[in-house]
Amino acid sequence: MDYLDVSVIEAMPAAVPTQDDLYQDAANSYGAALDRLARAYEADPDTRRDLLQDIHVALWRSFAAFDGRCSVRTWMYRVAHNVAASHVLRQRRTREQALVGLEELENLPDANSGQAADRNHALDRLLQLVQRLKPLDRHVILAYLEGFDAASIGETTGLSAGNVATKIHRIKSMLARRFQQGGDTND
Amino acid sequence: MTDHPDNPVQQIWQSQAVEVTKMSADLLRKRAGKFQRQIWWRNFREYVAALVGIVLFASFLGKTHDSLLRLAYLLFIAGMIWVVVQLLRKGSARSMPGAMGNSTCIEFLCAEMERQRDVVKNVWPWYLAPLVPGFVVYTVAYALAFRRPASWAALALLDVIIAVVFFGVWKMNMRAARCLQRKIDELGAVER
Repeated sequence: MDYLDVSVIEAMPAAVPTQDDLYQDAANSYGAALDRLARAYEADPDTRRDLLQDIHVALWRSFAAFDGRCSVRTWMYRVAHNVAASHVLRQRRTREQALVGLEELENLPDANSGQAADRNHALDRLLQLVQRLKPLDRHVILAYLEGFDAASIGETTGLSAGNVATKIHRIKSMLARRFQQGGDTND
Repeated sequence: MTDHPDNPVQQIWQSQAVEVTKMSADLLRKRAGKFQRQIWWRNFREYVAALVGIVLFASFLGKTHDSLLRLAYLLFIAGMIWVVVQLLRKGSARSMPGAMGNSTCIEFLCAEMERQRDVVKNVWPWYLAPLVPGFVVYTVAYALAFRRPASWAALALLDVIIAVVFFGVWKMNMRAARCLQRKIDELGAVER
């Protein structure tokens, strides 16, 4: 019986992942994050389902052009946020809802500030807050909530490190102020 | 993403109940095909609308022997073909998913809003102006063909209405272009 020489196996090039493989891996690893992202960009459940499917299709199509110059995670978040931002730009033309920046949001009164009793209510308030933001600031706050570090946020948004740091500082203080429950929400 | 977020608000966010969506390769291809079909139908509707207009003006062209009116109808037809070509060209210039992966949020938003701004800002040369020569020649031809004050008054009223509509469309688009430009400037001023 002939055995294959180990050196031959080592010399064989690693299988290049296909577009389908890349998509399946990304969907497995980040499916939940994509669902949360869609919630942040669309409040209506039916429209959100469509948006989420659009994101998945765009992601799958995008992997045909993935060249490995950035990580799969960065690529995935760029595609997902850009599809969602495009959705917001389209929806705004029809709904005319006023989106605000982080700076303006900081100064807006929170009508429910005294009712942060349960987790679901806090989540609803958080979603309402995020959905009011302009696309770029929404991208930053979402990345922060997902636990991205400043460098990753800069890589996906295109903001400078200093600008990301300033925005995260604002986000932290705003969230602490709005969701403070006996002081335990400050990090 | 961190496994154990240290901020309680991050915990609330990351621990929310989600429905994880995973689409099979078949479903993805079907959905992508549906998207392509939607674009095809949109283009088809624009072709049909233009074709109806062109057939209508071609029938007028066949019925009249007045050379000025014939010229007006020809100009209308040429103007409509120009508008449809421009609509299709601008409509197909959207960002592809591959480009989205290579663009940061700021780059993508700027590019998308610049594209929209250019469409609305240039509404005069690509959408309104191509129809003007037809209207002008039609007005002259009609005025010469029916030399009665009542006909001229009706014609003047029609021209005024068309001019007001054109002006309104142009003003609305200019306002939209200014609004988009403000947002582009805001993004341009962001430190990168």
